Amino acid sequence: MTGARPSAALQPPADTRRIGRIRSETISTAAIFALTIILILASRFVSPALGSWDQVDTIITLASFLIVVAFGQGLVILVGGLDLSIASMITLGGVLATTWNGSLGSEWVLIPAVLLTCACVGALNAVGVIWLNIPPFIMTMASGIMVASAALGYTSGTPRGAAPDVFLALMKGSVGSVSAVLIFVLIFVLLAWGLQSATAFGRRLYAVGANREAARIAGVTTWRPIMAAYAISAICAGFAGMMLVGYANGATLRMGDSYLLPSIASVVIGGSSILGGRGSFAATVGGAILLTTLGTVISALGMDQGWRTVIEGAIIVGALLILREDLVARLRNRSAG
Amino acid sequence: MTTFRKLLMTTCVAAGALASAFGIATNSASADEPKKFKIFLSLSYSGNAWQSEAANIVKALAQTPPYDKEVELKEVISGTDPQAQIAAYESMIDAKADGVISFPISSSALNRTVKKGCEKGVLFFMYDATVTEPCAYNVSYITAGFGENTAQALVNALNGKGKIFLSRGVPGNSVDKRHTDGAMHIFKQYPGIQVVAEYYSFWDDRTTQQETAKALAAHPDVDGIWAQAGEFGAIQALRDKGTRLVPMTGENSNGFRLALADPEAQKDGLKGVSAGSPPATAGYAFKLMMEILTKKRDLKAMNIQYPLPWVPADKVKLCKGDTFEDGCNTFPDGKVPSSFVTEVFSPEFLPELSLKSALDGAPTPGKTIQPLPAEVVKAPNEPGINCQKCEPPADLYKLTKSSRP
Amino acid sequence: MSASADAAAASVPGSNLGVAIRRGLTDGAGVVAILYVILFTLYALWDRSALTVSGVTNLSNNAAPLALAAAGESLVVISKGFDLSVSGIVSLSNVLMATYPVEGPGGALVSLMICLGVGGAIGVLNGILVAVLRLQSIAATLGTMIMGQGLALVIMDAPGGTIADWVSYTLTDVLFGIIPISGLIVLAVVALWLIFRRTDTCLGVFAVGADETAASLSGISVVRARFAAFVGAGLLYGLAGFMLSVQTATGNPTAGTPFLMLTFAAVALGGVSLTGGRGSLVGAVIGAATLMLLQKVLFSGGVSSFYTGIFQGAVMVLAIVFGSLISRLASTEPRA
Repeated sequence: MTGARPSAALQPPADTRRIGRIRSETISTAAIFALTIILILASRFVSPALGSWDQVDTIITLASFLIVVAFGQGLVILVGGLDLSIASMITLGGVLATTWNGSLGSEWVLIPAVLLTCACVGALNAVGVIWLNIPPFIMTMASGIMVASAALGYTSGTPRGAAPDVFLALMKGSVGSVSAVLIFVLIFVLLAWGLQSATAFGRRLYAVGANREAARIAGVTTWRPIMAAYAISAICAGFAGMMLVGYANGATLRMGDSYLLPSIASVVIGGSSILGGRGSFAATVGGAILLTTLGTVISALGMDQGWRTVIEGAIIVGALLILREDLVARLRNRSAG
Repeated sequence: MTTFRKLLMTTCVAAGALASAFGIATNSASADEPKKFKIFLSLSYSGNAWQSEAANIVKALAQTPPYDKEVELKEVISGTDPQAQIAAYESMIDAKADGVISFPISSSALNRTVKKGCEKGVLFFMYDATVTEPCAYNVSYITAGFGENTAQALVNALNGKGKIFLSRGVPGNSVDKRHTDGAMHIFKQYPGIQVVAEYYSFWDDRTTQQETAKALAAHPDVDGIWAQAGEFGAIQALRDKGTRLVPMTGENSNGFRLALADPEAQKDGLKGVSAGSPPATAGYAFKLMMEILTKKRDLKAMNIQYPLPWVPADKVKLCKGDTFEDGCNTFPDGKVPSSFVTEVFSPEFLPELSLKSALDGAPTPGKTIQPLPAEVVKAPNEPGINCQKCEPPADLYKLTKSSRP
Repeated sequence: MSASADAAAASVPGSNLGVAIRRGLTDGAGVVAILYVILFTLYALWDRSALTVSGVTNLSNNAAPLALAAAGESLVVISKGFDLSVSGIVSLSNVLMATYPVEGPGGALVSLMICLGVGGAIGVLNGILVAVLRLQSIAATLGTMIMGQGLALVIMDAPGGTIADWVSYTLTDVLFGIIPISGLIVLAVVALWLIFRRTDTCLGVFAVGADETAASLSGISVVRARFAAFVGAGLLYGLAGFMLSVQTATGNPTAGTPFLMLTFAAVALGGVSLTGGRGSLVGAVIGAATLMLLQKVLFSGGVSSFYTGIFQGAVMVLAIVFGSLISRLASTEPRA
């Protein structure tokens, strides 16, 4: 970590900018995972049962929802937006998956149908942001309120029905001695990271987020990546909703609420800029796991909720300060380029 | 016309004829229309099974004869923000409501608005949650000792010794504090009982499941769980880790009751009791309010206690039909979601209701409103719950449902 | 330094009234004001109590806490930041006031000082983390927000306590039988803003929000401007907590939670650009008042129950679309 600073500063500009960016992202990702591991090891002092594989398994299961949601949120933030509708989209995904379960014949019809519905709402967000010039904050907040209200009316307050079997298997099942959700998270992270970091589509997202005007001049049809980002975010949230339904075997109408702020926090703690154009999904995953681990350790502390909360906030600030060193190096690298 | 109406109303209010004031005023405005009471149902939020069931049964009762001819009920959902509910109450007062039946989001923040409303002759009935403003009626089970009774039951199930989790409600909430204070009063008397984890589950199944999973990572050797609403999530969290279950107490979800009665779950270690917050309170409060408005009742007590439901594992009985009959108290699997709160019925207070009322807010065909028993149970004073500056009774945490072995 | 003088010249409002109106429309405050008037007209048509003194006082008392919080948030947003600590500060000042009630005008002053002190202190902490240590504002203030909420729970673990009667009754009352005092307090903040807007520090805040590099190159102290924005915001959140306590007359450790989303909505509705450099505190204040009014309008219009949210969302979106239409008209027809 400390070695990165001089080397980054010594880089000749322009040519290696991309390499420099990738390197500093690797460092920040490594740093955030290192912090998580330190936290898990330190948690042995809180309770001897912690720091075990079992705890890691619990953390990954609990973090899986956040990781999926944070990927979509990260894409929207990357293109310079913000998605506040995800809480309602999680609920929508969960509610539709349970109420439509059984009525659409196969689950292989049900799942695409739910995700498509979510994608439409995401696309509507994008339409408002791109063509009607509505600030993303207001657009996604408004659509979130509307979707939540529609879900409330649609279910008349009590969502009924059970979770689709696929999601029960995903959240409860295991392959050999490894839980299914762990394998799913690994595959999801690899695919998502690849999409964001190693495809032409991903590069267009970065370009649009860094400077929309410049991207347009360079020949990018700027509305497409933006719309794709919002649609993917809605799909991810809907999918996470179905995962949650599989986890608890049933939907409730406020099930997404506790993921909104953490989804933004994961992205930002992972070092992405809230203003867009900069960030990596690997670090976001680190942010999501760090936050979940922190929650696990904090809840094992034997003290008042008030003090536990104070400590949680202080640790978040502390983690940001530790990860900052790297941020400075990156800023230096950028301003050099 | 308006001035006349205002004048007339002020006179009547001054004369103390609070309830009839609106009747006279409106009758003078439109003589041939039969007068309907204007009642608002104010929810702070909706979206969990408990809240929607409570609202649904009030709506169903309002459509059951003869209330269907007497009441104009309007539902307002204002969200989790106390200020939004303040604004909603103000609007209801301005709209010249006869009564407001409400689940208050805060025990204290709404007081001033409620007081303003009382001064204008609006009847305020709070169900389940309470306010400390003395002019509002509070109808609730909170004072009935959920915390201490379930704690004693858990202690008994554990033979006075073991590591336990506390799955609490919402941090900074007066109801959660009352329950937990009552429970801790009992747990502290048993040195063998060790509270190893205490977490907030926001009265939600899924959150309970996730928080219990976290606690289990730190303390896989837990011996018992004391839970507020959301208890079914704790069972699911234990099941996610393996087959072992532990004795636990919780509230009234159908899933929990079914599990309590399930021989397989019992074999895996589950025993305990289902008690806690009944949505039926909303219906009881509504009928009390209607009996006051229709002058069938003169209610002196402002704080009324609703009995605490108490169903140990051996008392769980499945219902064959769509309501509680023949002492049944749980619905078969698949008929309702597991998060459905079963204590929505009461053969004694609410014989008019069926499952359709609870799920869709529809009246039960052929039923008419039955009068409530004449006697009400006056709730004891509890500072911060139903009064502001008052002394709690000396036997605040006395056991009523469970007892020391 | 010369660049900052240029910026000063550009942002001093023109003496020409037409220019001023056009500026008001394009910076969002004018647009949201028009929206407010439309909504208020609807409300008054549907519910005649809207025009009574008590109706107006209710509106003013309801809107004051959010308006002050949004005013604070607008300072940070203009400097291209996000400040989540608002909900922590509001909760903390609320429980402090309810735990230590002091009667009388002197008591009001003491309570006010406590609230401002809490807000200012957390504002300074935010300023250090964001302006000096260069953490991302949204992440750093997430941390301070959680700490503030935790401290509020430490001080008070369930709703309770009371606000001194004199304080809560006087400050929700009306002056000369017609002017709500809470409204006067908000107006005082607006007046302070109008003075502040002419200072170099405020220019710095706008300049940093618009383009940090350019501002720094032209000699503006980026650190000072950011720091000032966070401290000013913290003080205003403290004042918001004070007014909330006055209105609810009691303490609640989670009182500030609803403020988090609502302040941002008010700021955005008030035409403050969430990407920094553009907007006005006045817009944010009217935005907050509009959000609170919206509830009353929906109620009096007979919209209730499950589908309220659909109308709320639709009005928010329409307001912005309508606003951008008007500002486009205003900027294409300078003589309008």
